[in-house]
Amino acid sequence: MSIRLLALIPVAAAISLALSAAVDAVALPLFLDTTGTILATALAGPAVGIATGVVTSAVNTLRNPTFWPFVVVQVIVALYAWGAARAGLFRSFRTAVPVGLALGVIAAVTSTPISYLVFGCTTTGGIALTTALGKALGLSPLGACFFGSFVSDFGDKAVTFALVTSVLHALPRRTAARFPWALRAIGVA
Amino acid sequence: MTRLHPFTLLTIAGALPALAWILPAPSGGLAMATLALGLTASRGLRPGLWPAVLTAAPFWLFLLLLHDVPTTIAIGLRITTMVASFVWLVAALEPARLVEAMVAAGWSASVAYLFAATLTAVPMLKARAQRIAEAQRCRGLSPRGGIASRLRALRALALPLVLSALHEVDERALALETRGLRPGIRRTTLAPPHDPVVERTARWVLLLACPAALIWRLL
Amino acid sequence: MKSLTLEHASFWYPATEAPALRDVSLEVAQGEIVALVGALGAGASTLLLVAADLAPRVTGGRLTGAVARRDRGGIVLPTPWTQASGMAFTVWDEVAFGPANLGWPAHEITRQVDRALEQLELVPLASRDPATLSGGELQRVIIAAILAMDPGLLLFDEPATELDAAGAQMVWRLMRRLAGEGKAILLATSALDAVPDVADRVVWLEDGAVRAVGAPDLLADVAVCEAGLGTSVATVWRASGLPGPYPPTVAHAVRRWR
Repeated sequence: MSIRLLALIPVAAAISLALSAAVDAVALPLFLDTTGTILATALAGPAVGIATGVVTSAVNTLRNPTFWPFVVVQVIVALYAWGAARAGLFRSFRTAVPVGLALGVIAAVTSTPISYLVFGCTTTGGIALTTALGKALGLSPLGACFFGSFVSDFGDKAVTFALVTSVLHALPRRTAARFPWALRAIGVA
Repeated sequence: MTRLHPFTLLTIAGALPALAWILPAPSGGLAMATLALGLTASRGLRPGLWPAVLTAAPFWLFLLLLHDVPTTIAIGLRITTMVASFVWLVAALEPARLVEAMVAAGWSASVAYLFAATLTAVPMLKARAQRIAEAQRCRGLSPRGGIASRLRALRALALPLVLSALHEVDERALALETRGLRPGIRRTTLAPPHDPVVERTARWVLLLACPAALIWRLL
Repeated sequence: MKSLTLEHASFWYPATEAPALRDVSLEVAQGEIVALVGALGAGASTLLLVAADLAPRVTGGRLTGAVARRDRGGIVLPTPWTQASGMAFTVWDEVAFGPANLGWPAHEITRQVDRALEQLELVPLASRDPATLSGGELQRVIIAAILAMDPGLLLFDEPATELDAAGAQMVWRLMRRLAGEGKAILLATSALDAVPDVADRVVWLEDGAVRAVGAPDLLADVAVCEAGLGTSVATVWRASGLPGPYPPTVAHAVRRWR
């Protein structure tokens, strides 16, 4: 791995972790904790993306221990973003946002078993409450848990994909050219 | 406790929650949770035990909301073990010692770099995010209004943060290269943490206890 | 003895039409300090990266022409916080980062680090966390970190930007001492007033090409002053309508008056 890609990983992981501050400032119920992973994959490929996801989870765990079991989700997000980058799906919002919504579903499907088995669906307050709502609506426990994860993941991943698309397009061509996958991800190369 | 080898600290913090899940509830969870909380208490009540309890408490609340009492106790004890173990780990682990331990154990310097550099980069990026948020507030950007305007505000915050961070990647790479950090180098360890045989054996025992317990439960 | 030789070097950054360096030929001898001056974007930083063997190796891009180095090079870049290793939690460890990567034995590392800390007057800060330092303090730490690797060729890109006047003076004095010890120094700076006291030769870069080379009184040359790159004394002398040749420093001006 080249030294530039090695330098990218901690920056991308820190982006994920620092965006929580930005999210609080606009009072939106988002996490954006996969932003760095998706961005790193779109810039430099799946190996860098997976490494970013693992590092993000590890450092996030120091702040909140309950994040560690969800490292699986980060890895799956990286693989998904790899597919999206290969297909140049970051070329516009019209392609990126639906792809992000689909990821929201996949992320929810992946995190539900973890949330259910490890945390009894109480991963966060928000998820716990939406799960309770789901149960009240008559869903099965697993279904209610999925409902809880889905509601938070759906919008979060779509916004993340849109944000990464904005970033990729805002990069000057010269800078983007220095990252192996960047131009391909926006459908230019 | 801090004089333990960093790998020992990591092993304990990993084994306690794992055993809490593997061993039969609620006694297994209770034992592990007690151990983990005991560890946090060893660092003092205010800095150690209190944060662990505070972090774990909301989970108990939500568990009660969703489940019956036995399930709540079973899951709650496991989560408490996990929370307490990590709170203790964060307090007891010195990043510098962990880096030295990894290099001394033959891990690639690049891997040590990944974790350490993320730790140091997060506060810097967070501070920058605050400054950008303040600058945007001066320009009239406010977290009020509908979803669309909030998303636009988010973009106005996140885009400069991410772009400036990416621009720095190039400079960081140049700096690392000039300081000799290359894949495959043999770094000198200046202060490798002491690793007595007792600790090494204890680590192996703990590591093997987890699959052993799993096998015992499955049989 | 020549530490660094560039012959007809041209360099293009990736995906860029216009070359950042055009047909640059330059030599830096051991014990010599050469200053690069030019407008923003003139190519001084790029030239330093090429000299440091970082362009095109790390930056990507294309290099034509010949570059010959006799010694290991170390480069100090303008922004200190991106140069911090990220892996060191005390100033001492930060300075030791480079030598440790070179695989030197521990006693040698300790000797080099202690010496570098003394040279940059950093001994009181040795156990501080680099993240808590000011920009100027951190820049001095980075310089110490490069010095501790004992490179024969030192490259400085605007080393005094973050430093206050006293810190900058210390760095200029240190450079002269290092040159006296036989190190070759190539320095890009916009601190034009300091150049006559620090540099042995000045290279004027414009649009990636060498426009002129000469002794430091080049900074009092008419064309240089017209380009806005003259020293303060020369610029004021010229602006007040006094006849040339313009004096580059106060000392020269005083001699002219007498």
